[in-house]
Amino acid sequence: MPLVETQNLCTHFPVRGGVLNRVVGHVHAVNGVNLSIREGETVGVVGESGCGKSTLGKTLTRLIDPTSGVIAFDGDDITGFSHEELLPYRRRMQIIFQDPYSSLNPRMTVGAHIKEAVRKHNVVPAAEIDGYVDEMIKTVGLRPEVRERFPHEFSGGQRQRVGIARALCVKPDFVVADEPVSALDVSVQAQVLNLMTDLKDEFGLTMMFISHDLKVVEHFCDRILVMYLGFVVEEIPSDEIETNALHPYTQALLGANPIDDPDDRRPLTVLEGDVPSPFKLPKGCPFAGRCPKVMDRCRVDRPVLEEKSPAHRVACWAVE
Amino acid sequence: MIRRFLKGRAARKLRRNKLAIASMAVISVYVFVALLGFVGVISQASTQERVLPDKTPGWLESKPVDDRAADAIWLADRIGARVERAREETDPEAVRRLLDEVSMAERSIIDAPFEEIEALYATVQAELDEMYEVFDEKDLAVDDIISSQLRIQRYRERDAERFADRIAEAEQTIAEAQARVPDLSVAAESELDDVEAALESLMPTPDGLRGAVYTLRTCLGSDNQGRSIMMKALFSVRIAFQIGFVVAIACVILGTALGAAGAFFAGWVDYGVMYLVSVLSSVPSLVLLAVIVYIFFGSPIFDNPAERPGLALVPVYAAMGLTFWVGTCRVIRGEVMKIKGLEYVQAATSIGFGRVYTLVKHVVPNTAHLMFINFALLFIGAIKSEVILSFLGLGVKGQPSWGRMISQGKDDVIIGFFWEVGAASVFMFGLVLAFNILTDALQDAFDPRHVD
Repeated sequence: MPLVETQNLCTHFPVRGGVLNRVVGHVHAVNGVNLSIREGETVGVVGESGCGKSTLGKTLTRLIDPTSGVIAFDGDDITGFSHEELLPYRRRMQIIFQDPYSSLNPRMTVGAHIKEAVRKHNVVPAAEIDGYVDEMIKTVGLRPEVRERFPHEFSGGQRQRVGIARALCVKPDFVVADEPVSALDVSVQAQVLNLMTDLKDEFGLTMMFISHDLKVVEHFCDRILVMYLGFVVEEIPSDEIETNALHPYTQALLGANPIDDPDDRRPLTVLEGDVPSPFKLPKGCPFAGRCPKVMDRCRVDRPVLEEKSPAHRVACWAVE
Repeated sequence: MIRRFLKGRAARKLRRNKLAIASMAVISVYVFVALLGFVGVISQASTQERVLPDKTPGWLESKPVDDRAADAIWLADRIGARVERAREETDPEAVRRLLDEVSMAERSIIDAPFEEIEALYATVQAELDEMYEVFDEKDLAVDDIISSQLRIQRYRERDAERFADRIAEAEQTIAEAQARVPDLSVAAESELDDVEAALESLMPTPDGLRGAVYTLRTCLGSDNQGRSIMMKALFSVRIAFQIGFVVAIACVILGTALGAAGAFFAGWVDYGVMYLVSVLSSVPSLVLLAVIVYIFFGSPIFDNPAERPGLALVPVYAAMGLTFWVGTCRVIRGEVMKIKGLEYVQAATSIGFGRVYTLVKHVVPNTAHLMFINFALLFIGAIKSEVILSFLGLGVKGQPSWGRMISQGKDDVIIGFFWEVGAASVFMFGLVLAFNILTDALQDAFDPRHVD
């Protein structure tokens, strides 16, 4: 049984306007996403800015309410749960945020951040909390002395480690990592990624790893979801992506990736045009306007995900 | 926390700002005076006592001779009445009590046997009689001048030619009188000095510590009821701080609570808060203040401040507390809207904290810098408004305040007596200016983006 599963998940944000402040439309951030994440699996989500990756992650962890669809966690439908009903599930799913500068409360010490979460869920008996907090800080590679320090005394990488400690201290089963390294220097990125790889094994985590960096996702994940304009356009095991990507958008993403070999020159497909407005979705395939393989059918019919080989699904009419 | 602050960047920046240090020194003097007022060293009674004759100017300015003479006569009469009654008393204590009634601040009738006091009083009377003679003579001379001038005018109107010799005669009289007046003025002044010296020996100006206190109390003169302007101004510091603190704290709490709740919970809570804010800011604030104060004074509880001094300021607190929170509310609302979207708030939700806990623990503490600055702004705002309200007769009642002083002293400004209005204005100006400078400095010091 999958740990996390969604059916036709949609998240739309109302846009208000006019004199009377009426809802004049919606931003379609996530459109009809079906996904299932098995226990212990790491799923990557890639796509360009504004394609709904973060919204998907936040909807899964119930930080944003979905407009329609179902979220099931460990077999339970948690879509309509109230704050109280969600509480036991809150502990089991955590999120690591993108911006280490705004993800920590500037008026709370590092220790207080972790302690607060541990105390809320009674992760350890009250007498052992202090020891547990120190242990947690050590686990993410910081010295226990830092527990009395405030966030502004740390570098971006160190803050991100604190953010990871806060997410993991409640012993979650499922963690959404929302672009956890995109705000960090490359050298620090590697450290944090290594740390996360270690912790994934140590805590036996199921993860959703959101990124716009295909290389990072490929390295870190078992399976990759490619998103475009709120739609999942391709779902592919990460060892196949280099060789077997079928959707033109995935191919374009791969083509945009720099290759560290000057002799290896492949033809570069440069996408033209812009992403359509999520305010008004196109009728057919969302990618039709920029697709090099566009056909007449693409502009009227929206393709759905179809299984091409085991664990590899594509939403494209051009793919046989 | 405090040690961390003192070592921090903000504190260092504040210490480098000389103007801020100066303003902090000024404010600490005010705080000290206010504390003296709260513990009762500067008591309300001391602002109601007579310390000098009416409308005596302060330091370095003296009254015209005629007024001084009037004061001397007034004081002599005051003593005379008590001495008269004391003659019939046999009990020495009762005598002393009667004599002490004359006391003005630290200046009282010397502690001597009654016979001696009677003798000194007789001297005063003798000196007064001498003074009267000279003054009468001077008055006669002045009368001569005036009546002769009138006569000349009348002669000229009728027939200047015919009455030429009479006009000459009158002019002669004027010349003679005018020759006499300067001498007489000098004589009058020296006689007045004698009277004052006699009064001084009967009622000596105190020296030593008591003298220092007396000098302090009289250095800014007295108002139209002989009360010490200095003491009134000093006691008003306490009233100003009381109003400033209560109003600023109430407004910061109310504004933060409503603004934060509105921004954080959005929806109908926000509509409600913003409706209140819009309504309150569309009414001229002074009118609103006046209306609220009137509502309170309509009830018998607040009508007689002398009976319930503890409640006397409640209408002022209520009026300002109910109106001034609007600005704070708007600022805090904006800040909370910003913070609400930050990831640490989402992290709190993700951990499973409720909305109220998140608001109180994660959002509101991060608006502390705004509360701090708003407190300082509201503090001076309340003090200034108190002055305006009291000037209009709606503010402080039964206690001195800068506004009441200006209100009471305004009529005397026309005749050149500016001490009461001046003292109140200067005291208020100093406090408001120092606070403004400090607020600016604090804002600069706490703003992380500010580079000097």
